[in-house]
Amino acid sequence: MDAIIKQMELTFLAENFYSKIKYFENIPAVPKRNLILTRLGYRNGVTELNENDRVLLEDSIRQGEYLCKPVGAYLIVPVLSISESCIILENGIRFDSNGLLKLLNNSRSVVLMAATVGKEVVDRISYEVSQGKAAAGLIIDSVASQTADAALDWMVQLLRKILVREGKILTKHRYSPGYGDLPLSYQEEIFKALQLDRLKMSLTEKFMLIPEKSVIAISGVEEKGEAV
Amino acid sequence: MDKAQFRELISNKLLILDGATGTELQKKGMPTGVCPEKWVFENPHVIKSIQKEYIKEGSNILYTCTFGGNRIKLDEFGLGDRTVELNRSLASFSREAAGNKCLVAGDLASTGRFIKPLGDMSFEECVNIYKEQVKGLLEGGVDIFVIETMLDIQEARAALLAVKESCDLPICVSMSFDENMRTLTGTDPVTALITLQSLGADVVGCNCSTGPGQMVQIISMMKPYARVPLMAKPNAGLPKLVNGTTIFDMEPEEFGEYTKDFLKAGVNLLGGCCGTSPDYIRQIYMKSSGMKPEATVFKPYSAITSIRKTVAFGFSRPVAIVGERINPTGKKQLQAELREGATHEIRRFAAEQVEKGADILDVNVGMPGIDEKEAMLSTVSLLSSITDAPLCLDSSSPEVLEAALRIYPGRALINSISQEKVKLERLLPVAAKYGAMFILLPLSDEGVPEKAEQREAIVKNIFDKAAEYGYQKSDVVVDGLVMTVSANQEAAVETLNLIAWCAKEFGCGTIVGLSNVSFGLPERSWVNAAFLAMAVGSGLTMAIANPSSDLLMNIKMACDVITKNDINSRNYISFFNNRQKPSAVEAQAKAEAKKIGERIFDAVLEGDNEIIGALISKALDENIGARDIVDNHLIPAINQVGKLFDEKKYFLPQLIQSAEAMKKGFIYVEPLLKQNGSVQEKEIIILIATVKGDIHDIGKNIVALMLKNYGFKVYDLGKDVSAETIINKAKSLKAHIIGLSALMTTTMVEMKDVIKLAREQNLSCKFMIGGAVVDADYAREIGADGYSRDAYEAVKLAKRLSKD
Repeated sequence: MDAIIKQMELTFLAENFYSKIKYFENIPAVPKRNLILTRLGYRNGVTELNENDRVLLEDSIRQGEYLCKPVGAYLIVPVLSISESCIILENGIRFDSNGLLKLLNNSRSVVLMAATVGKEVVDRISYEVSQGKAAAGLIIDSVASQTADAALDWMVQLLRKILVREGKILTKHRYSPGYGDLPLSYQEEIFKALQLDRLKMSLTEKFMLIPEKSVIAISGVEEKGEAV
Repeated sequence: MDKAQFRELISNKLLILDGATGTELQKKGMPTGVCPEKWVFENPHVIKSIQKEYIKEGSNILYTCTFGGNRIKLDEFGLGDRTVELNRSLASFSREAAGNKCLVAGDLASTGRFIKPLGDMSFEECVNIYKEQVKGLLEGGVDIFVIETMLDIQEARAALLAVKESCDLPICVSMSFDENMRTLTGTDPVTALITLQSLGADVVGCNCSTGPGQMVQIISMMKPYARVPLMAKPNAGLPKLVNGTTIFDMEPEEFGEYTKDFLKAGVNLLGGCCGTSPDYIRQIYMKSSGMKPEATVFKPYSAITSIRKTVAFGFSRPVAIVGERINPTGKKQLQAELREGATHEIRRFAAEQVEKGADILDVNVGMPGIDEKEAMLSTVSLLSSITDAPLCLDSSSPEVLEAALRIYPGRALINSISQEKVKLERLLPVAAKYGAMFILLPLSDEGVPEKAEQREAIVKNIFDKAAEYGYQKSDVVVDGLVMTVSANQEAAVETLNLIAWCAKEFGCGTIVGLSNVSFGLPERSWVNAAFLAMAVGSGLTMAIANPSSDLLMNIKMACDVITKNDINSRNYISFFNNRQKPSAVEAQAKAEAKKIGERIFDAVLEGDNEIIGALISKALDENIGARDIVDNHLIPAINQVGKLFDEKKYFLPQLIQSAEAMKKGFIYVEPLLKQNGSVQEKEIIILIATVKGDIHDIGKNIVALMLKNYGFKVYDLGKDVSAETIINKAKSLKAHIIGLSALMTTTMVEMKDVIKLAREQNLSCKFMIGGAVVDADYAREIGADGYSRDAYEAVKLAKRLSKD
């Protein structure tokens, strides 16, 4: 019975929070070029590219950029309680993770966020590889990964601008399920809290996000800023 | 108060706005965390006393206490259904406080949600949210409206249209810019001003976020482009957090000192935002005593905007290029994508055209078999978010253009309005409502006049009608109407005459679509280029063209230098810098001078799998043996590639390209090696798979490819493969090595199960593992024979395991 009541409470809370989820359908995410290259093993000042390599690289980066359709969502949830071993949010999510606790130590609320670059680019990566254009596929893969990260970065920057007006700041770093001692299974609760099916995302049995180039992250909102 | 009375009032004196309301309410007992609108509704005497205080200290305009009075914000307190009632009451409280001493501005502010294309709220939903609030404020008796602290230009547009479509009262719009002088969604002050004044704002300006010092700069930036009065409502300095509380520490006197600077910069309405109080307003009143705002001297200019950029063009500026490629005519791939709703080609055309120098993008999605309106709306929405270039909306359908203008988050250029009855009557009022510039097409229901004089008459006629809607000549660009010279050799001359007349007599900019002129002639690009140069010489200010045409763009850049519109040739120099490429002919000659063996080596080294087949055939023709080619050229080359990769001089795409070239080379020599009986190594079979539950396979695919290219016989079972399937397949193929991949912590454990099952079934093959979350320690822990961190390591590991 308790479990049913708890479930009802969670459903109510989820509905209540729904209106506060911010969805972005066209994030102007610009992937960082140096990170695209680093991911491919490029070392500045060491790796040497000839004209053909350069053309392949530039064409594939462009292809990747056209194919990525960054969308995302975030939700700010107040912290209900924080102890030495866990942190509980007002929407019922409970995190048992020392790594995350360290990050959220001074936070009164938590930002749950997610971004994806869509299915089209993922399909193209497989297609390029299957057509014997693995180098191009790999470069597009790197662009897609970095664009998904850039979409999160964009939301973080937006949030920083919004929060600074309220005298609040966002934690310098963000955390994701799968990092440190925060199991990947938390992706399920965050997925539900953000209602990511609205962004055409889904979750596998092993808690992997589909489309493949999707990311979930957690940040804290602190109220101890210096002059802004 | 009507708009004319309001303009008259502003032209005579600085109008003083009020100061902060929220902090004053808190000082007088409003608890934190409550809905301010509801609290004020229940405690009307408090707001009345605050506002009377502001009047006493000099305010001419009071804002209603309805900052969070839209349905979305009120819903957060469960009060959405009381939107009209609360706004009506709160407006009436201010009305009562103001009496006849002061104007009351109905205050609208952000909903906190984001509108498409950025967010998920439809533009129309947002307009309706504001209309509901406007209704209540009108019933409460406001004199004007103020849309304030707006963080997103699209939301400001929605609010402005909501008021415009509800009443004829004056509307002030005030954006909030951060320390980088951009709004939250990236709009700069000039772009915001041009977008909002074109859409019908009677006053534009800024409030909140910064102190008076930076706000003076924002007003100075806006002033040269302002056709409307400007307003400013700065904070009392920059916010500081002390013990968890935000404070503003600029004293009223210091705040008031900026009044002179604001007046000099061109402000017409001045007040205070966060941290200010009646004391600050008294300072503005005292410091502005006897002073008048700077008179507005408006210099005409032509400009359109996107969310984040203004593009100005016209006389004394470089010729603006309108990229023509987003148009399905003659483009099969784009046509197919428009039917399917795909966007790859549009994204590509947008990025390529901007990269090649387009200032503006023409958007035409008209074609049979699609809903043009829907296609236009989704394309405009997409382009608004992925490019900063403003758009030229191009359709023959007034309905399509109206829909696009409504959602376009900037000031657009319409292509086009002619004297055809349906266009003129339907489109002109729509263009005016949304403040768009338009391309004036000098043709009528009777067709295209041949002579320049006839076209001039149409230009005058259309412009006279446009002027009735407030259009100025700088808001219009005349299309020179280029006809083909192969059909009528007078055609180009007539167009040039019309361009010259517009430039020298009529006084408005001109545009031409270049490619028509050469239709039917051979080597058309020369005619197009010559025509462009002559048109610029006649006074052309814009061209619709494909910026990928080097010839046209080079001529345009040169013309801008010669007409003195490219100051100090800055654009020309920057355009041609770094465009010098090594001669392809020279490079080829150099390559051909090398011996054939060296060229094969180089082809593998450079990953050139297009040429390697021909080179090997040539080597064989020169009686170089297959074994010689493999041992002395292909193998040394791929070893050199491996060395370069280890030294980081090559990165992964180069390694893969080289391995692919190597594999392709082998295809040519392998039959000969077999024929000669010189295939020496036994075939090593590797089975590779991403384990059960894991859907990531690019890394595994690259490893499989590299192993194949290095001569292993590879069977790739794909992703999400169960232990049973892997083991059964390994048995049937008699695999020597099994390669397993996993990318997540939740799936890496499956690797252990596969190895365990193999051992249970006495399978003697070796195991190698890889993937983001595993390492050598994990490999040892689960009994694998090796771990590789990348594709090349995997090749080396497979070679080692196959020798063990």
